[in-house]
Amino acid sequence: MRSTLAALPRVWTTSLFARVPARTRTRVGTLVIAAAALLFPLINSNDADIDAAANALAFAALALGLNIVVGFAGLLDLGYAAFFAIGAYAYGVASSWQWHPEWSSFWEPFRWLDLVARYHQGGGDVVHFQVSFWLMLPLAAAIAAFFGVLFGAPTLRLKGDYLAIVTLGFGEIVPIVARNTPTITNGAMGLNGVAAPQFFGYDFGVDATPYYYVGVALVAVLILTSLRLKDSRVGRAWMAIREDEIAAAAMGVDRVRFKLLAFAIGAAFAGATGTFYVAKLQTATPEMFMFPVSVMVLVMIVFGGIGSVWGVVVGALVLQILQSWFLEDLSQWLHALGRFAGIDWLQHIELASSIELIFGVILVLMMLYRREGLIPATRHVRALSVDEQNVQVARGGFDPVRAITSSDRRTDGPLLEVADLNVRFGGLVALRAVELVVPVQKVVAVIGPNGSGKSTLFNTITGLLPVHTGDIRFAGEEIGRLRPHEVLYQGIARTFQNIRLFPDLTVLENVMIGMHARLATGPVGALLRLPANRREEEAARERACEILSLFGNRLLPRADHLAGSLSYANRRRTEIARALASQPKLLLLDEPTAGMNPAETLELADQIQSLNHYGLTVLLIEHKLDVVAMLADKVIVLDHGEKIAEGPPETVRRDEEVIRAYLGRSAALA
Amino acid sequence: MSDYGVLLQQVVNGLSLGAMYALLALGFTLVYGILELINFAHFNVFMVSSFVGMWALELLGISGQSRVLTGFALAGTLLFAFGVTMVAAGVLGVAVERLSLRPLRGVRGTAAMITTIGVSYILFNAILLTVGAGSENYPNPLPVVRWQFGEVTLELKELLIWGIAVALMLALHFFVSRTRLGKAMRATAQDAEAARMMGVDVDRVIVTAFFLGSALAGAAALIFGLYYNYTSFIIGYTAGLRAFTAAVLGGIGSIPGAMIGGVLIGLIETLGGHLIAVRWTDVIIFSILVLVLVFAPTGLFGRATPTKS
Amino acid sequence: MPEDQIDRRPRESGGPGQTAVAATRDSRLRGNDEKSATGAHLLEFKGVDTHYGDLHVLKTVDYRIAAGEIVCLLGGNASGKSTTMKAIMGSVAPSRGDILYEGRSLKGVTTAERVRRGIAPVLEARRLFPRMTVYENLEMGAYTRRRGPEFDEDLARVFALFPRVEERLHQLAGTLSGGEQQMVAIGRALMARPRLLCMDEPSMGLSPAYVEQVFDIIRTINGQGVTIFMVEQNANMALSIADRAYVLQTGQVVLSGPAAELRETELIRHAYLGEVTVA
Repeated sequence: MRSTLAALPRVWTTSLFARVPARTRTRVGTLVIAAAALLFPLINSNDADIDAAANALAFAALALGLNIVVGFAGLLDLGYAAFFAIGAYAYGVASSWQWHPEWSSFWEPFRWLDLVARYHQGGGDVVHFQVSFWLMLPLAAAIAAFFGVLFGAPTLRLKGDYLAIVTLGFGEIVPIVARNTPTITNGAMGLNGVAAPQFFGYDFGVDATPYYYVGVALVAVLILTSLRLKDSRVGRAWMAIREDEIAAAAMGVDRVRFKLLAFAIGAAFAGATGTFYVAKLQTATPEMFMFPVSVMVLVMIVFGGIGSVWGVVVGALVLQILQSWFLEDLSQWLHALGRFAGIDWLQHIELASSIELIFGVILVLMMLYRREGLIPATRHVRALSVDEQNVQVARGGFDPVRAITSSDRRTDGPLLEVADLNVRFGGLVALRAVELVVPVQKVVAVIGPNGSGKSTLFNTITGLLPVHTGDIRFAGEEIGRLRPHEVLYQGIARTFQNIRLFPDLTVLENVMIGMHARLATGPVGALLRLPANRREEEAARERACEILSLFGNRLLPRADHLAGSLSYANRRRTEIARALASQPKLLLLDEPTAGMNPAETLELADQIQSLNHYGLTVLLIEHKLDVVAMLADKVIVLDHGEKIAEGPPETVRRDEEVIRAYLGRSAALA
Repeated sequence: MSDYGVLLQQVVNGLSLGAMYALLALGFTLVYGILELINFAHFNVFMVSSFVGMWALELLGISGQSRVLTGFALAGTLLFAFGVTMVAAGVLGVAVERLSLRPLRGVRGTAAMITTIGVSYILFNAILLTVGAGSENYPNPLPVVRWQFGEVTLELKELLIWGIAVALMLALHFFVSRTRLGKAMRATAQDAEAARMMGVDVDRVIVTAFFLGSALAGAAALIFGLYYNYTSFIIGYTAGLRAFTAAVLGGIGSIPGAMIGGVLIGLIETLGGHLIAVRWTDVIIFSILVLVLVFAPTGLFGRATPTKS
Repeated sequence: MPEDQIDRRPRESGGPGQTAVAATRDSRLRGNDEKSATGAHLLEFKGVDTHYGDLHVLKTVDYRIAAGEIVCLLGGNASGKSTTMKAIMGSVAPSRGDILYEGRSLKGVTTAERVRRGIAPVLEARRLFPRMTVYENLEMGAYTRRRGPEFDEDLARVFALFPRVEERLHQLAGTLSGGEQQMVAIGRALMARPRLLCMDEPSMGLSPAYVEQVFDIIRTINGQGVTIFMVEQNANMALSIADRAYVLQTGQVVLSGPAAELRETELIRHAYLGEVTVA
């Protein structure tokens, strides 16, 4: 509201469109689009046009599905058409006369449910499948989701381009299997006799209009699903995985679960669409599901805007309309031009058949010049005005009590205990017999020269590196075998030496991902948005803002800015805020003041001290030994992977061994 | 013919195919070794080159298999055809790199690979639209000479293919191990930053890799046409899949790996087609691809790390 | 002998993260202008700033290295030492200021050209080409030069310095031990017949025995006329062979002067360990 009021004096220069608040804009826009979609067949009653529109809707649905896998979760799936095929053939087989196994008593309960019928054929009785279209829609989605998990599971640990190749492999295997199992699929000749849907006795037949409306409903449901998922804990987890998998895991995201979820939901979209498409076409051939189809959907989402829900819908519709209407008309126009100008080849040009060439060109051009697509997924937030930038920095009313979990239970005994830890990394011994005790509510600093193993220690504690031998106990529990997101769940959060934020997400979203492990909304909750889910999301947003306000007005005014656009110091602060959001009992900070000037360093050291006073235990890697002197209760010195000293800062600093470690062994020759 | 004889024949055929796949895989792996880029366009450069080879031969007045040459005439013709095809392929490969890949060189992620898919599409459809979907009868001046060894038939063209493929592989080996630029290529593949510090012009190395790799694809393309006596717009996909799997099987980025992988895939194709069924060979090859990537990503000789740390 | 003083830059006093060394009244920013016979320095950094994104790494840094010297650059972690090396070799371009070599600016000069003009690097952690032989690695060092009698001379010189290298000539570089690799790395740089050898942490990861050997060899090479600019963490070893030293801390030069004097004082320790002294 404040921004609208502030804009009033400029009202005559800003367009009408921009003046209307965003929420109303969205509502009106959606209503207009919905009305247009519903009224379309009444306006244009040409059956071929309506059919083309229905096809376009099918591809819009596919684009939405691929957008979840590629756009949200960042998994490049080049074999997406396989799921389309699975959904299609599922309905095809379940409603046509193609496959008729011999009758047996096994099928009796299905007949009772009216899913199959018993026919007399040849010498015996056979099964005829007659599953209803409406039942098949969710069923095909479920079957496709199963295959999504099946095909996705082997790719979980592969890097981007290899993942793409494996999915491409699966994508090719499916239609070939379809072609080579003619008993079930009628091979290359294609399934026929696929039953048309029935709606309370009304048979859809061959008229395109009812299919069109089903398509509209399907796309509407998928758009709603996509939007709801995107703006939820699930969507944030996906985007975190896309941006930086390691950081996502360190913030509590179970990568395996969410990647498989993305594959499953994406596949489900395609499965349902497959059923729809085949019902309309009333046939299915393997050619309909080969690599070019996967590429076409990819081009659609690249063109429309990877990650943007409306963008990919627009991309799909535009490219389909291009293919079915525009190119035809353009060809006619070129023919006429050819006749007029007497140019022969113009008169014979058929642009529609060169659609794939055009797709290739579009793909290359978009990649080179506009990778974010027509409608980019990340919105640009207006930069802070000069005044806002130069405002006096005030440290927030420092009340971190709600932000920090008080260290409850188990006050006897140390919070973190590392015993006789040996870690191997790249064939070398990175840590040797390291032991370390972090008492509850204390600050312990780890120092040492380059390559002494400090970050390796952090990586091992947080589960990013495996323990070779030794124990790591947190609040008495052994955590050495836990995976990174499980370690976070136990209550250990960290920052990274090289700042691993999610650059294309906003500051607020970054912090809210820190809360991932403490929230409970799953995909179903995200979709339904029950009151409990909405309350949880609201509370999370509030808490995130509170945590941001710990840093005064440095971060809060920038809450909607992309994290990648912040200054170095602010990015560091955001990373710490994100770690705090997970309600840790132990905070691991890896060189938090690196790159900061003395004033910023002092400010941050002060804030860490306050956090510690309010109950947070801190384990800190630092080079600025003044900071260490100010904060640390105890200092541990590592050199070449071994602990060489331990004690209060003053003692350690004067220790001969420590000095030698930093300055190097003296020369034998003076 | 006894079962054993048929099997042996398939082995012979597989070796010839393998030689061709090896060349195609080599070109692909050369680029990957330096840029860690999966270049989809490589396989349609291969396809386009086979047409270039066809036109080169037709230029010499050879069409179909009716006109047979021998001796110096044959040697000269082949030299001309291979020369033209390989150079044209090399130029095409470099053009692809300059126009569509160089601008993306800093961009992390799969953007460059996706672009190669687009370029691949463009090449594929350009040929489809201009030449059409039918398969073309390939001009072939090779005399048909057969030798019989027990139950196995060996043809002159197979020997020739082997000879040419081996010669090219030896030439490549000589290039990367004896010449200054070749060593610079190997150095860049192992540590591009250190190579730059030695004064290597990394950009020039990349262009060279693309040129050589594509030239090898061109040779493979001409061999394809001479072996099968046909070419068509689709061979990029069919042969490409096999060559790609060969490179992965041998260890992506490894030169000896590509050679061995190629031969293995050739054998798997013929033996698989014979022992199981020809229509399942695609699935077999794809399955090998998936299995290698999932369970043994470094392949036989490779050292690239396809898994995340 | 010119009067050299340990140059201590006056600092903003107090606060963590910086050395609050008491600024003496007569500390000047004179630096140490040891000029060679020709009157120009071999390498000069003039007010160089570098950035990494918006992170200010090097802050108005000045170095002067005369021909024939061994100069070492010391400092703790994240001080900007590696960035200095990268700036000399051309991987990083200064956002402000200039780098001069033999009196001429290096702005816009490619890495290859810098090697040709006589600057050769010994990279951090060696970075040999692991699947090339020792001989091929040495060849790569001479990449920018023509083959000829000079190449053979240089090769002989490398063998004289490093007999072990000659023994292992046809082994794959990746199979050598750390110390052996360091020998090869130095040899590789010498194959460029450089005037200025830039060494990035030559003692890192080496056993003490090898460290001694390496520093011995550095002295020998310097005696043969090669100027050495060396980044090192091991301050004691480096100061034992260097003529002069600069100490970096968070991107700024906080100390510079003759090595002998720096060795004697507590100031080095302060710079590394960041002691707070009340001004």
